[in-house]
Amino acid sequence: MNILLALIPISLALLGLAIWAFVWAVRKGQYDDLDTPALDILVDDEKPLPAAGSRRGVADR
Amino acid sequence: MTHAATCFHCGEHLTAEPLRDSIAGAEQAFCCTGCAAAARWIADADLGDYYRLRQTDAARVGTEAIDYAAWDRADLLAEHSTVVDGGREITVLTDGMRCAACAWLIDRALTREPGVREIAANAITGRIRIVWDDARTPLSALLSRLASLGYRPSLATGEAHEQARRRERNRWLLRLGVAGLGSMQAMMFAEALYLDTSGEMPLPTRDFFRWITFLVSTPVVFYAGWPFIEGMWRELRGRRLGMDTLIASSTLLAYFASLLETVRGGVHVWYDAAVMFVFLLLAARMLEQRARGIASAQVDALARARPALATRERGDGSAEQVPLAALATGDVLRVAVGEAVPADGVLLDDDADGDGGTAFDEALLTGESLPVSKRAGDTAFAGSLCRERPARLRVTHTGADTRLSQLVRLVERAQEQRPAIARAADRVANVFVTALSLIALGVYLWWRVHEPARAFEVALAVLVVSCPCALSLAVPAALAAAHGALAKLGVLALRGEALDTLARADRIVFDKTGTLSDRHPRIVAIDTFGDLDRSRALAIATALERDSGHPLAAAFLEATAQEGGAIAATSARNVHASPGHGIVGEVEGRAWRLGRAAWAAAQDARGGDDEAALWLGDGQRGSARFRLQETPRPEAAEALQALRTQGLSVALCSGDAEQAVARMADAVDIPRGRPHGAVHVRARQTPEDKLAYVRERQAAGEIVAMVGDGINDAPVLAGADVSIALADGAALAQRAADFVVGGGDLRRIPQAVALARRSRRIVRENFAWAIGYNLLALPLAAAGMVTPWIAAVGMALSSLLVTLNALRLTRLPASRAADAHAPRI
Repeated sequence: MNILLALIPISLALLGLAIWAFVWAVRKGQYDDLDTPALDILVDDEKPLPAAGSRRGVADR
Repeated sequence: MTHAATCFHCGEHLTAEPLRDSIAGAEQAFCCTGCAAAARWIADADLGDYYRLRQTDAARVGTEAIDYAAWDRADLLAEHSTVVDGGREITVLTDGMRCAACAWLIDRALTREPGVREIAANAITGRIRIVWDDARTPLSALLSRLASLGYRPSLATGEAHEQARRRERNRWLLRLGVAGLGSMQAMMFAEALYLDTSGEMPLPTRDFFRWITFLVSTPVVFYAGWPFIEGMWRELRGRRLGMDTLIASSTLLAYFASLLETVRGGVHVWYDAAVMFVFLLLAARMLEQRARGIASAQVDALARARPALATRERGDGSAEQVPLAALATGDVLRVAVGEAVPADGVLLDDDADGDGGTAFDEALLTGESLPVSKRAGDTAFAGSLCRERPARLRVTHTGADTRLSQLVRLVERAQEQRPAIARAADRVANVFVTALSLIALGVYLWWRVHEPARAFEVALAVLVVSCPCALSLAVPAALAAAHGALAKLGVLALRGEALDTLARADRIVFDKTGTLSDRHPRIVAIDTFGDLDRSRALAIATALERDSGHPLAAAFLEATAQEGGAIAATSARNVHASPGHGIVGEVEGRAWRLGRAAWAAAQDARGGDDEAALWLGDGQRGSARFRLQETPRPEAAEALQALRTQGLSVALCSGDAEQAVARMADAVDIPRGRPHGAVHVRARQTPEDKLAYVRERQAAGEIVAMVGDGINDAPVLAGADVSIALADGAALAQRAADFVVGGGDLRRIPQAVALARRSRRIVRENFAWAIGYNLLALPLAAAGMVTPWIAAVGMALSSLLVTLNALRLTRLPASRAADAHAPRI
């Protein structure tokens, strides 16, 4: 039964890790929009674009 | 490429000579320069994938240019945006986002603007969050870009409120995550204890497991379960026992009883029951709130709040934009066509031409179906829409003194005085808590007498086992499922408990203009005089109307389509509107006037200057007369019949004139006169009168549902037991209502009623199941025969049963599945 002394702390650590990851995801807004990102993979990567008129050039990021 | 009859960008019908442009190598036709420019820009920006990804047509862009410069005002930015690292953040609403592809397009389009740091567009809630560097680009440039793509931005409810909304949602998500992960782990540990059926586990190991479980369950009960504990505290302070009390007390009881047993080394612990309970209920409640959250976010998007600005004339005749709050009595305002009048005021002379008269659409304010013509000296009311031509007016009342504000106050008062209908769930909870406490006490006393050593343990088991998990799930699970089904029908539910009331309603009161009718008059009669025949007259009139953008154009196009549509070949030239009179233009070399009798056919004006008739003539002789009339929505009679079949009494209350109301009542078959001792078709009703009528019916013991769309309906919507607003109506009416029906389809109302009744029945079934389970488990527990694993299995099974039963609501009956793919409103 001594194995429990190792396994239970490990399970608790994994639980902590899972909760931390979940909190991180919620804080980062991963759950904010569940529909639009699904479309992103359907289109090709962005090409450098000539936008109309004075709005030439790409945004600052 | 062949040109379709609809606009490439927005799918609307094309005019006789549509714009054409070559998009991605193919020629396309457009309804207006706005749509053409949007498609051009999308193609140039290499975002043509939008057309491939979208599921519905875009919103019409239109040609009307809106100046967003007002949004750059420091006072507005200070109020509606927040300073973030490297710029400002604002959330705007738009009603043009129809599918995820729109959100994608907005994201790509705005990200490219210089100075934009972050864009998050959400098609479900209609919100766009913009973080931009206000030193590099003004907000108005970004908003103009949005508007040029057909997404007209409007103000959200304020940045602080938006952030609070997001934070609240994230907090719920976190709670649910913690509850899910924590209860999973607690179950694992509990499992180890259950599997020790023969009691071979050494006591130290058992206690070790119990303490670990305690450690894992504590955050679940107190962090994830906090909303219930808070709710219980609120209910107890209000001296009533409700659902939250039931939930929180059973969770806390199971938790503390387990803790006690852990400390004193008792036989059973119930940590797993406590955490599972929290998790299941949290999930049910979150689903229900999510459905309602989406509904109210969409209603916000419909509200189209703009920065409240008015155009004020300076002393020298130039104009400036000022916030509404800065308006004072005596100021001179300009109101453009299609704009809402910002304050009550008197119309002024216009030096350009003549009398300064114009028409105001007061349908939302009074229920009058046709625009009201006003001349200089007449009063225009805040909230009415300016038609035909721009108006100048001198402010007589501002802010809280306007007719609009009086109605808003009436709404608030009516809401406060809404008769309280006790919620079934709270009543059940009340009885349940009381009965359970008494039984537990009885069991304890009985065991105390017969076997004192086990008395405490058995009484605890009774309380924990009858922990009303299924009972508490009964309502939220049914509500969550019902809200999902309502959304599929195209009905947004804004208040949870309203569904129960809708199921019990026995009278349904309709407004006329905009509710039973769709505010667009139709041509009901064409009389011709002289040389023209019927279809020829219609063809000429349609040609004149089609390109005028006149509000009545739709009526003529529709009539033409009904006649066979062959007339569409005729086209008109040199068309222009003569404000207050009608339209002038040339058709096949001949000059025509279409409008008021005295102006289009001065000599022939038979039958007086009837507001509802349009004449076609050359100015002297009349060739044809078109009689326009408000007609009921095509499905209105069917919807009302369905409601009657469901046993509801139908009534009609309108602000319009006696004759128009009587005609409508006959058209949709609502009996006039006094069929049961009271008049249920009422004309010329002010908002106060309508409210009084509803109060009168409520006093007679009826549960009254109200269906309306206008600002004038808002007070009665707020005062009725349950209320339904139409999505194409006024924002104030929607905020006062419990349900918003999308797509202007009245048939959704009987469908919603049927759904409400089904969900009421399912809630009852759920209650019966839950109580049945308790009746079964209680005697066993009282006899001291229940072990924690039996309790856990019983609880899980009964909860599962209740949830599955509730899920039946999401399935629509086959007859309705056909029209259930609801368009977003």
